[in-house]
Amino acid sequence: MFYLSLIEHTLRLPPHLLDLPLNEAIKGELESLFLDKVIANLGLCISVYDIGSIDGGFVFPGDGASTYTVEFRLVMFRPFVGEIITAKLKESDANGLRLSLGFFDDIYIPIHLMPNPCHCEPNPEKKSQVIWIWDYQEQKFPIDGIDEIRFQVQSVSYPPIPVEQPKESKPFAPMVIMGSLDYDGLGPVSWW
Amino acid sequence: MSCRKKANAGALTNFEVLDFLRSRGAAKDPTRVIAPIAASEFKVYDYLVESAACNQTRESINELLEKCKKYDLAKAEILNIINIRPASPVEIDPIIEESEKRMGEGIEDLIEMVTTVLPPPPTQMNTEEEVVAGDEEIADGEQTATAMATEN
Repeated sequence: MFYLSLIEHTLRLPPHLLDLPLNEAIKGELESLFLDKVIANLGLCISVYDIGSIDGGFVFPGDGASTYTVEFRLVMFRPFVGEIITAKLKESDANGLRLSLGFFDDIYIPIHLMPNPCHCEPNPEKKSQVIWIWDYQEQKFPIDGIDEIRFQVQSVSYPPIPVEQPKESKPFAPMVIMGSLDYDGLGPVSWW
Repeated sequence: MSCRKKANAGALTNFEVLDFLRSRGAAKDPTRVIAPIAASEFKVYDYLVESAACNQTRESINELLEKCKKYDLAKAEILNIINIRPASPVEIDPIIEESEKRMGEGIEDLIEMVTTVLPPPPTQMNTEEEVVAGDEEIADGEQTATAMATEN
């Protein structure tokens, strides 16, 4: 689920951080730049693992701050295709399920990757949502929000940033994971 | 401005990320303000603490890696096994491709090895205690619970 990525970045250290020891100031800057942000094809940055080398420290003409070239490692969240992950149900509607990991919410299980055959029934408690039920050998297994759901990662995509968005649409998701429940051992933990 | 020198400088198990967050003080601070950890990192910590990684140790993972060598598993499969800690053949099925063809009877051995080497996650431990206490007397259930605790 997690990888280390080695990155080299040129960063400008604002002058108000000059009283801190260099390591801490650079770490703070890197965290504010990268933490909890998605980098295309690398994943979601969870944490700064360590700083390899700090180079430079030159002050360019006309600038009040020094510029450093830093080499560091980031802990990235990037599941590989085929990985099994346990997540909680966030929403379920007619298009499929949406799962959440707490720190990452854009996990979708579309209808064609749900266990076959299954159907959905309107949820009596929350009017806009439905409950998906798996029909297996004449027994019904509902996917309710009680226990955790295990799914297999089908694909990880990074949609390009849209230039304009209509006002009512969902906030833009820079990283989307498609999952599948269509296999033995997948689905809510209590089924197995 | 930035270039990636190595997009993949090494895969990390859930345990290693949890250990890294704990080494920075995530576990010791109930107020979550004093430790030098961001709120988004705390969300990752919360997720990992409820997963199978929460009571693993570096020694148990090294032991598992040694014992897995004879099964000729892919690196991704071993990573999945460490992160999920499967306790039955049906949980191994999505992890190992063509498990019956490649391993056949070995699946049972693999599962027994995984359940003995890696400690069970908190949710699995509760259900195991309930099953044992339901079948036998409560005293036996307590004995297995203490046996598992001493193994940890």
